[in-house]
Amino acid sequence: MNRRSFIRNSAITAAVPLFLGALSACNFHTRRRPQNKILILIQLIGGNDGLNTLIPLDNYERITKARPSLYIPERKILSIKGTNSAGLHPSLEGIKDMYDNDLVTFVQGVGYSNLVLSHFRSQDIWLTGADTKILSTGWMARFLETRYKNYPQGFPNQKYPDPPAIKIGDTGTFLFQGETIDMSVIINPSTGFQAPEVDLPADDESTFAAIEMKSISEVLLQTQHYSQTLKNALNTTFQHSKSYPKEGENSLADQLKIVSKLIKSGSQTPVYLVDLKGFDTHQGQVDPSDSTKGAHADLLKKLSQAVSCFWEDITAMGREDDVVGMTFSEFGRRIMSNASMGTDHGSSQPILFFGRGINAGIIGVNPVIPEHVTVQDNLSLQYDYRSVYSSVLKNWLDAEPTVISDVLLGSYQEIKIFK
Amino acid sequence: MRIASSYSLAPINSKLKKDELSHLLGRCLFGVSIKDFEFFKGKDINQCMESLLKRSPAPEMLAQDDPDIIDPLVPRGTQWINAPYESEEIDKKRRFYLKAWWVGQIINRDYSLTEKMTLFWHNHFVTEMDIVKDGRYSYQYVHTLRSHALGNFKNLIREGTTNIAMLVYLNGNSNNKEAPNENYSRELMELFTLGKDPHVRYTEEDVKAAARVLTGWKDDKETLQTNFHPELHDTDDKRFSSFFDHTIIKGRSGASGAIETDELVDVIFCRKETAKYFCRNLYRWLVCAQIDDRVETEIITPLAYILQANNYEVSPVLRTLLSSEHFFDPAFRGCIVKSPVDFWIGASKQFDLAFPAISVENHLCWLHYMFYLGGLSMMIGDPPSVAGWPAFYQAPKFHQWWINSYTLSFRMKIIDSLIAEEGLNCNGPRIKFDFSNFVRQLENPEDPDKLINSSVEFLLAMEISQSDKNRLKAVLLSGQEADHYWTDAWNKFIADPENKENKGVIETRLKEFYRKIINMPEYQIM
Repeated sequence: MNRRSFIRNSAITAAVPLFLGALSACNFHTRRRPQNKILILIQLIGGNDGLNTLIPLDNYERITKARPSLYIPERKILSIKGTNSAGLHPSLEGIKDMYDNDLVTFVQGVGYSNLVLSHFRSQDIWLTGADTKILSTGWMARFLETRYKNYPQGFPNQKYPDPPAIKIGDTGTFLFQGETIDMSVIINPSTGFQAPEVDLPADDESTFAAIEMKSISEVLLQTQHYSQTLKNALNTTFQHSKSYPKEGENSLADQLKIVSKLIKSGSQTPVYLVDLKGFDTHQGQVDPSDSTKGAHADLLKKLSQAVSCFWEDITAMGREDDVVGMTFSEFGRRIMSNASMGTDHGSSQPILFFGRGINAGIIGVNPVIPEHVTVQDNLSLQYDYRSVYSSVLKNWLDAEPTVISDVLLGSYQEIKIFK
Repeated sequence: MRIASSYSLAPINSKLKKDELSHLLGRCLFGVSIKDFEFFKGKDINQCMESLLKRSPAPEMLAQDDPDIIDPLVPRGTQWINAPYESEEIDKKRRFYLKAWWVGQIINRDYSLTEKMTLFWHNHFVTEMDIVKDGRYSYQYVHTLRSHALGNFKNLIREGTTNIAMLVYLNGNSNNKEAPNENYSRELMELFTLGKDPHVRYTEEDVKAAARVLTGWKDDKETLQTNFHPELHDTDDKRFSSFFDHTIIKGRSGASGAIETDELVDVIFCRKETAKYFCRNLYRWLVCAQIDDRVETEIITPLAYILQANNYEVSPVLRTLLSSEHFFDPAFRGCIVKSPVDFWIGASKQFDLAFPAISVENHLCWLHYMFYLGGLSMMIGDPPSVAGWPAFYQAPKFHQWWINSYTLSFRMKIIDSLIAEEGLNCNGPRIKFDFSNFVRQLENPEDPDKLINSSVEFLLAMEISQSDKNRLKAVLLSGQEADHYWTDAWNKFIADPENKENKGVIETRLKEFYRKIINMPEYQIM
């Protein structure tokens, strides 16, 4: 290829010109391992508009008044099994099918009191699991630290051969940041995983520099340890669902594809984090000519498509009882629309769970929409977000009550999300 | 833990020691070559500051050499920055061109802080080119950052508030009296000026009032100007909370409604919190991520005073901080994990890589550098969010954010491509290390111990252990015991540098030697 066509064709579209070739082609023998419970967390970055996701149908005319430019016409809303009072955004066809097959539950009105409308602080609140205290560790990391004691010293081992958590992407996350070390290994969707080969410096914390060095060494140590396992896992041959979109079209689907491969390989990593960006729809949330189209519709379509393809994979490998997924976002959006065909930051949100281990249906009630909505009005809180975390820890990840209250700095109401 | 021993902003003794000069330049220049070092050697601290703070006009965008690469509809030898918008496909190329051009500016930096501060502003006053989606708008944004790089914080914020790219990025262009859009006013206070520390008690009502002040600004895709539209402006009075001393910005009608924007900037910059927030960010950028109570009281507070006293000119603050005893305190050597720019462009500068002379070819190299920076999580022009890169704000990890199992491996892989015989193939031009040329500029390279010491001293921010040095020496000596094996090989090479065999012997060992140094965790910090 000559230089010009290189610029025209490849560099412009490729993420990174890759000489990082395929991972080494090792033979992989499927490990026989106990089948553990797995939690997939899907972070919807930017603040998802819950009112246009799980749409309340009682008093719908109030919604049409509050958000005249972006409400979904009632006839376009997807109806779901067993209820007339709520429906789904038309982009969520895959989720609707799963709902109708008892594989989906929504928890209504999840958030925290004393709303913070800053993306960053609110993300931190969700990821650290604390709203009034400023913490420097993630709630999931604090739980994983109780299970993987003294990590990374002594890991991997026979009981825990795989990383405590895996983040798909190219940066770490607060969620998995432990007291001293990130509990996750990061796998990049396009280049996979490669461990560097270097010597490690001595253990020392006497200077600023030594502390930085120690953190770098720990990353090195960790990556070296999991290197072979992950390479093997990523080389697993597995026929993914044919419904997946082409690579690069749906970043969430690309990420979940890797997760499904890792699960297929027998990986016992209990927690994965994937994400979908772009929910900060101040502007152009819907198309002016058709409110069922636009940025938010595209995002929900990606979510729906990715989750249903992933679930087909999980079904094909017979792990439906072991895998549960959950979405969350830093906040919901304002009831009232703004003048830019969008919505500003708001309060609570519906949380989506999927899997066979959950009690299908809708938990909680429809949000109340005031008759005369002002720009100040927000959806009311029904469940503290830590009640959701607490239920996940207790009923899915089998955490002891004392562990849960340590991790979440208190006790929270249990929500009957899981069977 | 060892903490700084000096908390004084008094200037250090004017004669800089070698390690002090390395520290200063390392923090200011994105990689220091031997030539750079020689330029500053012998200068006293005031003379150093004169070079580092030298302002130059913002560079103009290059005229395109080859329309095929960027924009087929804009003729050769002219610029695309004022040409009509064509399509997303072409605009994407323009944006890549713009980002690569920026990377090229860093690679070709002068002896000033201009590039370091331009990137600082980009991280502080963020727009994302791939969200703005108009390369011409983003060019104006970059131009604004560059014009104020070593200039005035307040002017930058005032100009930036109505910058055409910012109006799109944070929806200022759809903020009108019927439905105020708070996106910009919120980030203006939270991220660009006052900050969100718990003691900074501006209110939600202040955010809303500021949004109303800013109603009426629109971008114009034809003229590439921003215009004030009085009919969209909220002419009521805007009342602020006790945090702003109950200030009222009086509603104005007609064209003078635009003056309210100036008044809002005045109100925000009257608060000393704005000066402090800036100084903290600058301190994290140049000195250390950790700010304890003592740094807050003895460094940040006086710097903020200097900033306000100089009506928000940044040079006096930079001069004071970078000349201070505190800055040169040995506790800060190596306390910053190199950003991808510090690491990747830095390595290329340290070893003084030769880039092609022709600008089209150069551009291809810049594009590659840009993509690799993206691969290391630092795509210039597209920070991950309006808060910038987490490495500069996310406590407690801060700069450690750059390093994870993926990026660390990637850092090593791309260095390997510069070491490889074929070099980094930029689809034509090839870039690679020339270690023997580098070593020739060091003192006594024939002596393996001296070569190790001077390399480590020049390349690393800290000393390494004797056992590490022994390992490095084993590479130079290929496992032999006696030093003279290296000395002989070096002398043979110097006697006949064109002899391929002699050069090969030297190069093979130097490649492995420098590869080992660059792969040391010590190389990741500065």
